[in-house]
Amino acid sequence: MEKIKKFFRYENVGMLFVLPAFLYMLIFVGYPIIHNIILSFQDVNAGNLVKGTRNFILFDNYLELFKDSVFTSSLWNTLRFTVSCLVFQFVVGFALALFFSQRFSLAKPVRGILLVPWMIPITVTALMFKLLFATDIGIINFILRSLHLIEKNIEWLTTPGTAMFALICANVWIGIPFNMILISTGLTTIPKELYESASIDGAGKVQTFWRITLPLLKPTIESVLILGFIYTFKVYDLVYVMTSGGPVNSTHMLSTYSYKLSFEMFKYSKGSAVANVLLVILLFVGVFYIKATTEEETD
Amino acid sequence: MKKRKITALLTALAMTAGIMTGCGSGGGKGAAADNAPAADKAPAVQESAGEENSGESASSGAAQEVTIWYYWENEGHQVTLDQLIQEYNGSQDQYEVNAKYVPFADFKKQLSIGASADELPDIAILDSPDHASYVAMGIFEDLTGKFDVSNYYEGTVNSCTVDGKLYGVPFGANCLALYYNEDMLTQAGSSVPTTWDELMETAKALTTDSVSGLAFCSVQNEEGTFNFVPWLWSTGATSYDISNENGIRALTYIQDLIDEGVMSKECINWTQGDVMNQFIAGNVAMMVNGPWQIPTMQSEAPELNWKVTLIPRDKEYASVLGGENYAVINGGNVDGALDFLTYATSEEKVKFMMNQFGYISADKTIAESQFAADSPYYPFVEELNYAMPRGPLAEWPGVSDAISLAFNQVITGTATPENAAAQAQATIDGIVK
Repeated sequence: MEKIKKFFRYENVGMLFVLPAFLYMLIFVGYPIIHNIILSFQDVNAGNLVKGTRNFILFDNYLELFKDSVFTSSLWNTLRFTVSCLVFQFVVGFALALFFSQRFSLAKPVRGILLVPWMIPITVTALMFKLLFATDIGIINFILRSLHLIEKNIEWLTTPGTAMFALICANVWIGIPFNMILISTGLTTIPKELYESASIDGAGKVQTFWRITLPLLKPTIESVLILGFIYTFKVYDLVYVMTSGGPVNSTHMLSTYSYKLSFEMFKYSKGSAVANVLLVILLFVGVFYIKATTEEETD
Repeated sequence: MKKRKITALLTALAMTAGIMTGCGSGGGKGAAADNAPAADKAPAVQESAGEENSGESASSGAAQEVTIWYYWENEGHQVTLDQLIQEYNGSQDQYEVNAKYVPFADFKKQLSIGASADELPDIAILDSPDHASYVAMGIFEDLTGKFDVSNYYEGTVNSCTVDGKLYGVPFGANCLALYYNEDMLTQAGSSVPTTWDELMETAKALTTDSVSGLAFCSVQNEEGTFNFVPWLWSTGATSYDISNENGIRALTYIQDLIDEGVMSKECINWTQGDVMNQFIAGNVAMMVNGPWQIPTMQSEAPELNWKVTLIPRDKEYASVLGGENYAVINGGNVDGALDFLTYATSEEKVKFMMNQFGYISADKTIAESQFAADSPYYPFVEELNYAMPRGPLAEWPGVSDAISLAFNQVITGTATPENAAAQAQATIDGIVK
């Protein structure tokens, strides 16, 4: 009796509540990840996926990858894409959040409408931008030509450099509402009294922004940037539909290249090695995020 | 404190886990393929067959299920396949065939996942160049001696033969040929081109501000390779030997088409369907495409005046063999699969399927009498004599990737034909030798 009572102490009961979630995670999250890591240390291709021996070749897949120019360029592309998207969508999202935090009559409905890009399925957005950026029939070239900014149509999606630019534009368009809404929410948590007393003390708009708004938004900004990084870094569908990694592999991301290796070329192990590189990078970001948020909670 | 660290790490893992969409959730979907045995499902056939209902139904039991995976998105194709299956299900009550549509882009993925998770259909109708890879994977049943394919086009049989054993039955054959807009050609006063030089001249004459002379799908994947190899093979080069005078000439010709402005660079983003849409919209005067576009073209643009001819040649006429093969999965319901295939490959059924699909029968004797000489399909039957298969090679996807990278480099101007050919050759040598 005593033992049972002891078992149902506060902490142990807590553990029981966690158990279902933990088991779920173990089976549906833990297992695939571990399986994927093992796969990346083997040599699995079309020949031995089903039968035959899977040789352990340890880090050979990874070593091969770092010699593979498409892999290094897709790693670089993913970073470049993520950082560019983050900067633009954060700055514009922040500006819009500040703008809509002003009280004017249409603020709320317009802010709601601005959420639409976030709600449209990404494949639809991707197709839309593919048409916008089309060389001969695209409206972007049409506008630029009508304004006499260009004479010849720009081949947006068929030239390596500009294809990346088009992808970034599309993703920024999707990402702005996400940034805006999170920062808007953050803004509402700042007590109005602070602004009132600041204005009584004679602080200007710029000063209040730098001394009150920004420091108090720090936790929100951290979350927005880190979550934004994770969402952007794992981009897949947008790239797959808009460019499929082309032209000439110039817009391959880690995710699209991993897919291509695994399911188009039957190099399963190499594909999973690419996925693991993606995992490790995001794991670092994830740990950093947890650290940042737990520190604030303990503060 | 330590506990907290662990939770932190777990949470981080959970967050990152969402990323592994391709491997995680995709796998889940693959496993969910409705392959469950329908032992308790009474076959619909029995209800219609009135006389069997009385005493027999208890002893005859339920029909065994046979599952087919296919990737045709074309509605007409789906309806036709369904019709064939309904007829088969109605003709006997031992097996109940079901077909499942898997999108083309997902087809290879689903088969791979299915193979490792043991969740495969009983029959797959797959793209012929992939056949050898799955044979290497060991998931296909050896069909040698079970089907008579002696009358079939050699290329189609080769595509499902590995080491002298037959691992599939050709479903139908198709190949690429040149479509031209007859009105535009007459207007420009050009004649139908038969050589590369004539094609270049005609394309130039047909190109205007709003019309490109020529288009063919040049996407950097198997579909693009399919459309490029006729040019490559016409020079005498093979898929495995590109970095030579012939291979470079083929790449240079493509470069010239782009540089002269008779073909749009956008072709690297156009699927064969997109190319066809540009053609019927009047934005393209000539295109390379397959016979499966004909039904759509006839219904979407009945006014358009077009004809089909052989793809112009450099040294010799060449085209590429396409089409699907039936394959039987080993370990599944092999008997049921064989029974259905025997039914589906009978002359009467093949004729029905091919005509509905706009395909050419892989069976030579059927193909030759399939179309009248004035039918738009007829040139494809002629072109089929020059059509060669890709591979068959288990590593074909790697070779194909190298080839499609080469012509994409040339089209986008990121490499000269010489460099692109040399680079492709290095990759191919790494795979084949």
